[in-house]
Amino acid sequence: MIMKTTSERNKQTTLFIGPQHPGITGNMMVKLLVEGDTVVRAETHIGYLHRAFEKLIEQRNWLQSFTLLCRFCVPEPDPMELTYARAVEAIEGREVPPRAKYIRTIVAELARIQSFLLWYGGQAGSAGLYTLGQWTVGDRNYILDLFEDLTGARIYHMYIWPGGVRRDLPKGWADKTRRVLDYLEKRLDDYNRLLFDNAVFQKRAQGVGIIPKDKALEWGVTGPPLKGTGIGNDVRKDEPYCAYGELDFDIPVYEGGDVWARALVRRDEIKQSIRIIRQALDKMPGGSYYNRIPNPMKWRLPAGEAWVKTESVRGEIGFYVVSDGTEKPRRVHLRGAAYTHGISVLEKILPGQNIADVSFILNSLGACPPEMER
Amino acid sequence: MTTQDIIRALNETFELKAEVLHGNQIRVSMHKKQVAPVLLYLKNQWGFIHLDHVSCVDWIEENVFELVYIVYRPQDQLTVLVKTKIHREHPEMENMEGFWPHMRTYQREIREMFGIEFPGFEAPREFILEGWEEIPPMRRDFDTRGYVKRTYTTRPGREDAWSVREYITRRTGEKLPDFARKYSRD
Amino acid sequence: MSETKDIRIITRPTKEQIRQAQIDFAPRCTAAGRVNDKETQKMVQYILNFARKHSLFLLAYGTGCGAIEIPATLTSRYDAERLGIRGAATPRQADVLMITGYLSTKTLKRVIRVYEQMQDPKYVVAFGSCTINGGMYFDSYNTIKALDRYIPVDVYIAGCMPRPEAVLKGFAKLQELIQNGNAGNGECYRKNLDWYRANQQKVIKNWDFPDEYNW
Repeated sequence: MIMKTTSERNKQTTLFIGPQHPGITGNMMVKLLVEGDTVVRAETHIGYLHRAFEKLIEQRNWLQSFTLLCRFCVPEPDPMELTYARAVEAIEGREVPPRAKYIRTIVAELARIQSFLLWYGGQAGSAGLYTLGQWTVGDRNYILDLFEDLTGARIYHMYIWPGGVRRDLPKGWADKTRRVLDYLEKRLDDYNRLLFDNAVFQKRAQGVGIIPKDKALEWGVTGPPLKGTGIGNDVRKDEPYCAYGELDFDIPVYEGGDVWARALVRRDEIKQSIRIIRQALDKMPGGSYYNRIPNPMKWRLPAGEAWVKTESVRGEIGFYVVSDGTEKPRRVHLRGAAYTHGISVLEKILPGQNIADVSFILNSLGACPPEMER
Repeated sequence: MTTQDIIRALNETFELKAEVLHGNQIRVSMHKKQVAPVLLYLKNQWGFIHLDHVSCVDWIEENVFELVYIVYRPQDQLTVLVKTKIHREHPEMENMEGFWPHMRTYQREIREMFGIEFPGFEAPREFILEGWEEIPPMRRDFDTRGYVKRTYTTRPGREDAWSVREYITRRTGEKLPDFARKYSRD
Repeated sequence: MSETKDIRIITRPTKEQIRQAQIDFAPRCTAAGRVNDKETQKMVQYILNFARKHSLFLLAYGTGCGAIEIPATLTSRYDAERLGIRGAATPRQADVLMITGYLSTKTLKRVIRVYEQMQDPKYVVAFGSCTINGGMYFDSYNTIKALDRYIPVDVYIAGCMPRPEAVLKGFAKLQELIQNGNAGNGECYRKNLDWYRANQQKVIKNWDFPDEYNW
């Protein structure tokens, strides 16, 4: 943090939060103009994680892009693979076997849970409550273990491919998953007692970082921040993909639009995710898990375009994919939820807030820099 | 409301030929001067209140950039892809930052990555890159491998980068069967 | 869990080392006025290194995607704090700069600044294959390929992404280097500043910093 006086009477100060700051999510910078400890103007600076993925994907073939794609968003890579795979399938018109759809649903929901657990740590940590992070991030390892059994990797899986998934469920994996879910369900009460019954969190979260309900859709707010304003839009419910159409789940909606409402939404979302995974495990159909694609080095897609959306923890993500009929994609463009949340929405809701609440609000919006700049 | 209503409305108001892309997605192409009125019409008249995405594709063979604006109507999950083509030499597009607050972000990115100018758009020029001196990097004619070769020092590869299969057989003294040799490096 | 066993062996001084230190230490305590001779310096250095290696403060700067495994390493299952590894908020209080993954040129500029703000002894741990030779970003126009051309590096941890066990192993290696007196690269950086600066300026086109920090 560097301070620099801008006006002669030292009334307003420029304050940089990030890129090196313990409260920032990832690697980005928020430039604040403050008066006293109130923010007058905020400006998000990004580009610290720009890896030029969209350029590199133009140089890879359709299947090689998957190694790059999952790195678009670090805390939750699976929806990226899922969305891109669905976009490729939409261009080609390839069918996905029902078993693959259910496995994809389970993977996407497990990714949601682990990302929410990481969020617990970040949100509590930015309020100065460090115990919760030790618990949730520690318990998150159980889900990463499940991923490891299933895909061979903890963080980046490259598991969901066009036409299905890469491997079938290993033997005994379903039972292990059920045991982990039972454990997590018990632990959730402990987490919530620690966070939502805490006076510090209650006092700091209520009425802070309010997104107005009438503006939310126009501002491009999606996901938990939108559900926190009282609008229950969710891609899983609105345009069901994978197996979501056949499963029974609710969309938690809270009024208020502040950090508190967003936290409550996330609390309930974990329970819904556990519910979805249990149903999917019970209903899991048999049969093939993979619709074989041709030799990936010579695999050409017909010319065309697709716009596909998926619900991730931060909100809706979408891929605009254009094919020109060759082995390589013409253009793959990601619409990240954090792209609006972290830049234009943050710049709109920060003025009038306290400096100490900046990283608090940033965490509750789910700003994810690698997704913003790719 | 269905996709057919929107297609008819666009045809009657702007004489545009829209078509269904996938499911309830509509694709419509137009001249670049029509984009702003069509977007405003969709937003105010039909409730396409949510701007999903703005993208740009470089069709270098036809010497055009294709801009795609994707708007979404939450009530019945309708999506419209508004597309326009602009010339690659001196590319210019109408500045629409007032329509949606995050249009500003998209325009900054497109200006930096493709070099498309938006007259009257006053946001800072540098957004993601810093001190960039080459042509805008997302254009197809920007050679990223050549740039990397010119700019960065890379570490030479290992000299012992053998095929793993070969290496194991050499270590154990096992003879490599023919079916395995098919995949080995030499 | 053979990993954990290895770490325990490496990080704790052996009984022989402790006994040697006690023998070394005992006569010197009585010999007043002889603190500058070689033997004493060696012993003081040993104790200093011993203390340093058990209190490594990581700078909280997630420069790349490797930052996702740092919370997992620091929290309850892997619990890096038992090795004396924990977070620090500002560069001036930190001992270890972790480069968690690729560095875009824009971040490299900030990393150099952060690195130069850190005080000796300082250590750099490079995390992930992309710091070694670019990894999967070998043809990206915005990321550097070999980190040690720009700042000196003590330990590389390979992998994409390296598992927490690998991270702990890397830190065990760093502790070993510290105990042997081979780690710490501030001196090297200062001596070869011209070479490093030339490399940095080749990549960073816009070499302007805010007013408070101009060279």
